[in-house]
Amino acid sequence: MESSAPAIPERLRTGLFSGLQTSWKLIRFVVPIYIAVDLLKHTPVIDVLGGWFSPLMRLFGLPGEAAFAFIAAFLLNLYAALAVLAPLDLTPWQLTQCGLMMGIAHNLLLEGAVLGSTGTRGGLLSGCRLAIAGGAGLLLEAAHRLGGF
Amino acid sequence: MEIFLAALWGALLLSGKLLLIVVPLVTLFEVLRYLPVFRRAGRAVDPLMRGMGLDRDAAVPLFTGIFLGIAYGAGIIIRVAQEKKLPRRQLFLMGLFLATCHAVVEDTLIFVVLGANGWIMLGVRLLIAVGLTAILARIWQSSPPADSQIQ
Repeated sequence: MESSAPAIPERLRTGLFSGLQTSWKLIRFVVPIYIAVDLLKHTPVIDVLGGWFSPLMRLFGLPGEAAFAFIAAFLLNLYAALAVLAPLDLTPWQLTQCGLMMGIAHNLLLEGAVLGSTGTRGGLLSGCRLAIAGGAGLLLEAAHRLGGF
Repeated sequence: MEIFLAALWGALLLSGKLLLIVVPLVTLFEVLRYLPVFRRAGRAVDPLMRGMGLDRDAAVPLFTGIFLGIAYGAGIIIRVAQEKKLPRRQLFLMGLFLATCHAVVEDTLIFVVLGANGWIMLGVRLLIAVGLTAILARIWQSSPPADSQIQ
């Protein structure tokens, strides 16, 4: 963010390059995850495992299968979660709920370590994030039920 | 085989959408990041930051985190945090804010791609981050023994 700003064409080139690089990193594991989940949908695996999680997920107005996306979000990142969610056919409201909760709590291991390396308590912050995500999810579900939006 | 092709097609479609978001976003950031507007915006939110127990030194790492994300902005956050010798209280407050609210543009857009409501996600996250950080700043007043207060 310092003063010596490169010329616009060079910034465009840098931006395009790093954008493509980031995209490639993401797509490399979005594609296999998406395909795996989409194929598993044709087997009973997702239904059975999703059934175990459905009491918990119901608290947030979500189907049991969404639990896989949460696991992917917590341990990996939002792109992995997205790749799990995309084939599941959720409603726009359910996707908003997932986006809110996962936006708050995701990539907990890596980001907890990063926050910790700045000199604060990364583990405590990761715990806070899980709690806050749960609280926000319950609130949004309550608003959804009461307000009907 | 047909099932596999359908899955592959869906995966490629999603990848295409991600490309359409990530590439313009990163390019735009790279082109705009040197504008003085950003420094002025920093001054505009000064009162809000003070309300959350943060001072000017925390502005650059905070805004880097909000827009770029913790993982991507990590370098800047660590460097500034050490250079400016941010006290533990401010580091934790900033951490709490960023833990709940970072990379907001990208995070929001990738869910909007699937059909979620971006305004709800963004609005609730910002409200929670500002609210919680402000509350913690009130509870945890500056300077006393830093660690023992929040276990």
